[in-house]
Amino acid sequence: MRRTRITVDYELCGDGVGVDPRACGRCLRTCEPAVFLLHQTIGALEEDPFDPTRWRVTPFWPSLCDRCRQCVSVCPRGAIEVRPKVRQQPRPAVSADA
Amino acid sequence: MCDYCMEHGAGGKWYLNATHYSEEIVEKYNLREFLLEQYASFEQMAVRKVGGFSPVGMDYTFRMPIIGRVVKMLAERMLHSQKPPVNPFRPDGHIGQVVPLEDAEAILMHCAAEPIIEKNCMCRYMSRGVKEACCINFGVMSEIIDKLPRFVPEKEKYHLTRDEAVARFREHNAKGYIGTIWFGPFPYINNLCSCETPECAGIRPRVDFGIKSIYKAEYLLGLNETACHGCGACVAMCSFGALRMEAALGRPVIDADRCYGCGVCRHACSTGALFLVPRDRHPALAGKY
Ligand code: SF4
Ligand code: SF4
Ligand code: SF4
Ligand code: SF4
Repeated sequence: MRRTRITVDYELCGDGVGVDPRACGRCLRTCEPAVFLLHQTIGALEEDPFDPTRWRVTPFWPSLCDRCRQCVSVCPRGAIEVRPKVRQQPRPAVSADA
Repeated sequence: MCDYCMEHGAGGKWYLNATHYSEEIVEKYNLREFLLEQYASFEQMAVRKVGGFSPVGMDYTFRMPIIGRVVKMLAERMLHSQKPPVNPFRPDGHIGQVVPLEDAEAILMHCAAEPIIEKNCMCRYMSRGVKEACCINFGVMSEIIDKLPRFVPEKEKYHLTRDEAVARFREHNAKGYIGTIWFGPFPYINNLCSCETPECAGIRPRVDFGIKSIYKAEYLLGLNETACHGCGACVAMCSFGALRMEAALGRPVIDADRCYGCGVCRHACSTGALFLVPRDRHPALAGKY
């Protein structure tokens, strides 16, 4: 299975740092398969309780990403990165000329 | 249809059963409080952990051969739950079905509890950051939205009469939006939506991952070959890839297996060549919702 790692840097985009994704939302609209989701924060997704005043975008459906990198180019803050996800286990060594 | 309707009347349409819209259910399950709590933090439900697992990136798990099947089964079980609603932070018992214009009209005219409102669609907001008023709500759900300004449309009048609600739904349907009716939570019906895919969070799990998060309609599309003049306009209306122009025949062909029976393609046809037939009459697809 091809895996893609999409990250959003919340130091660059997020209500707390003065960039409200509700006002921008370019990544949401440019992505054909609608990979991103806009939602209120649960802080770092776990500990922090629900904060209705803070919003963020999360790459929610990475398996549907086709790596077009449109989101990377439209983001005015350079907050998004899209990369192939590196395999966890090393491949078995196979000699090329076997 | 859903297990519930299997038990409660063969071939019956659960969404035309007025008891599902009643104040009695609201009181029995304390839904005023439940729904207010659920909708106050609605957009956040998708990213909350369920059973200790974060749903973010869960789509890769869905795609794994064995584990994927188990996880999808668990997700389905949650959505199809018929237990009394207890946890407002999980989408238990949130199951829906595609409805064509005619059935939506019947719902709005005869079943929906007042007040009836039209709120901003939360799926489009979450997936695209746009506010579009196209989600029709009933009863206690309407009261709750009054208290949550972000769902209240800025421009449009949002408290609707039955006739106005029908007119609005018809407008959305003509644009190609898929009509859907939802339990939220079971056994209360409160949402008549006009969806698009991939924006709709209820349709996506089914279309992209084969999770029965929504049932297909009680209908399938039929075509009158003699009336059709092969303009191809209907093909662009279908969100499910169920229509394709076939050059050799000079008319569209229907992939019945893909057809959700939403009926929106009919709006594009100027000759009246397209019609809906009850799903039950199809030899292979009867009972396949
Ligand atoms: S790379 Fe393309 S498909 Fe992937 S998330 Fe970005 S815009 Fe969407
Ligand atoms: S495009 Fe960039 S700045 Fe705009 S909402 Fe998306 S991540 Fe935030
Ligand atoms: S072909 Fe079926 S699914 Fe497609 S628009 Fe027509 S009725 Fe809806
Ligand atoms: S829109 Fe009507 S006339 Fe045109 S191809 Fe479709 S069925 Fe035929």
